[in-house]
Amino acid sequence: MHPPISLIVFFLTAGTSIGLFIFTYFIEFLTLFGKGSGLPKEVVLVSGIISLVLIGIGAFAASFHLGHKLRAWKAIKRFRTSWLSREAVFSGAYGFTLLIYLFLMYYEINPFFEHFFGILTFIIGILSGFSTAMIYATNKFVLEWNTSLTVLYYLDMYLMLGSALFTIMSLYYGLPYTGTFVFLTFLFVALGFGFRLAFNIRQFYLKRPTLNEALNLPHNRTIRVLDTGSTTENYCTTEFYYRKGKELLSTTLPISYLLTFIVPLILILYAWITGTVNLYIFWTVYLSLLVGSAVERWTFFVEGNHVQNLFYGLYPEEGYKLRKGFMERKETRISLYN
Amino acid sequence: MAQYALVIDLNTCVGCHACATNCKEWNTQAAFGPLSDYDPYGRHPSGVWYNRIMSYEIGEFPNTQVFHLPKSCLHCQDAPCVPVCPTGASYKREQDGIVLVNYDDCIGCKLCSWSCPYGCREYDEADKVMKKCTLCIDRVYDETLPPEHRKPACVLTCPARARFFGDIEDPESEVFKAIEERNGFVLFPDMGTNPGNHYLARTETKINLEEFEKHILKPDNPLFLEVMKRHHVSNKSAETTVEEVG
Ligand code: SF4
Ligand code: SF4
Ligand code: SF4
Repeated sequence: MHPPISLIVFFLTAGTSIGLFIFTYFIEFLTLFGKGSGLPKEVVLVSGIISLVLIGIGAFAASFHLGHKLRAWKAIKRFRTSWLSREAVFSGAYGFTLLIYLFLMYYEINPFFEHFFGILTFIIGILSGFSTAMIYATNKFVLEWNTSLTVLYYLDMYLMLGSALFTIMSLYYGLPYTGTFVFLTFLFVALGFGFRLAFNIRQFYLKRPTLNEALNLPHNRTIRVLDTGSTTENYCTTEFYYRKGKELLSTTLPISYLLTFIVPLILILYAWITGTVNLYIFWTVYLSLLVGSAVERWTFFVEGNHVQNLFYGLYPEEGYKLRKGFMERKETRISLYN
Repeated sequence: MAQYALVIDLNTCVGCHACATNCKEWNTQAAFGPLSDYDPYGRHPSGVWYNRIMSYEIGEFPNTQVFHLPKSCLHCQDAPCVPVCPTGASYKREQDGIVLVNYDDCIGCKLCSWSCPYGCREYDEADKVMKKCTLCIDRVYDETLPPEHRKPACVLTCPARARFFGDIEDPESEVFKAIEERNGFVLFPDMGTNPGNHYLARTETKINLEEFEKHILKPDNPLFLEVMKRHHVSNKSAETTVEEVG
């Protein structure tokens, strides 16, 4: 699939925004039960404003994915069936309730409503991330994405970005939560590493459809694409197959692993062992995570193979996977361009 | 419930692209037009088409056969492209099962095209909306046209008469009978889309020799000699073997 830069920007900004708010509000929430000492008002305000600005930038960036930005409001109409509609509703609602929460918190109007909107924003934020992930995870025609790992990794990415930035805030304001958040960042990055590895390993075991299945022909027929009916590229060959991306994949995949997981994990371990938990290290951790995640999301798109590519001979080549169990295995190469 | 659809006979389709060309022609100027072209006179012409023809070769050399597959939206009965649309711009008509896009509501998010396993939706970069075959709804319901012209443009133009249009749920229709009699099949049956458009499989052409002898192979037929000659030549060529060179 062709990676849309606008959506990658949305993932990163919305991810940091929602992740940061989740942790900020959670600490406030604990004070309701007399746990912890909460956060200074200034910190909640600054963190809230960062979240608000980021989700604003994210929404603005995501609008560039749309052909008609001014009609974007219409995306709320199919909430009942479409995950994209749900995402639009939840992301919009998240920004709105966050604004109200900050307002109530700043003017200390009423603690009940303050926490009510805090909890609401917290839940809607998570639902927004979940809906975004479900857009990809529910697509049956891109087998690489069609798994719960997509959702798990996606939500974990939000927590990775959020906890890393919160650690920086904690260090900056000298809050007593630095140790906890260093640990949490490590935990979420390590979990993400696991999910991403599983996501990649799973791809080797996918039962991919073949051109024979697409054309409803017997499994043991050799078949070859002779002509796709268009001289140059068309929407189907550019949107669903990104040639340049596929060539770069072997470079970007290791880079994304390196920057998203290896570098942050090593830096955090170093900080732990040597006791040098400082702003420099954690800014590096966050930036590495941010750049790594951008490359990771790009890679995620390019890794996805849409089944419509079968008709163009652009689906990954492989031998017939015999499902009926009695036909001989035959290596068939479906290729068009060589 | 009615389900209008196309039935395409792969046995007679010669892959001439007339249907695709006439589809483009009609839909560029009619109610759903235009269908944008990019760089039409340049080095890399491309554009939006509702119908594309692919050619495949089946079998191993020297026993190969080529067939052509015209592919336009299959108007799936369980269209996966419809529920994912966030605006409701993509919808399936209840009265005839035609899947359409309302260009005034489409925000151009492309999600519907990601949810079509057949690659039958194309995004128009100029109009910034998603487009797809309309089953020529602007022809089939147009009462100003003579009844025999109330058919899709691609069906009317096909020189091999390989395309049929009708209600595949109506046992009286031409398409229903064609599917029944000739075992019409659909693309990607595993995908759970339940396509409306059906294809009629290729069959090997057999000459009914009895008929042939009765009517043509009579010495008083003025064409007798010519037929014999041709028959002889074609028999020869069938035996042609391929020799390895070098
Ligand atoms: S062929 Fe594709 S675009 Fe047409 S109805 Fe089926 S899924 Fe939708
Ligand atoms: S591109 Fe248009 S028709 Fe397709 S899902 Fe988006 S809004 Fe709906
Ligand atoms: S039915 Fe009409 S719109 Fe659809 S492929 Fe045929 S000519 Fe094109």
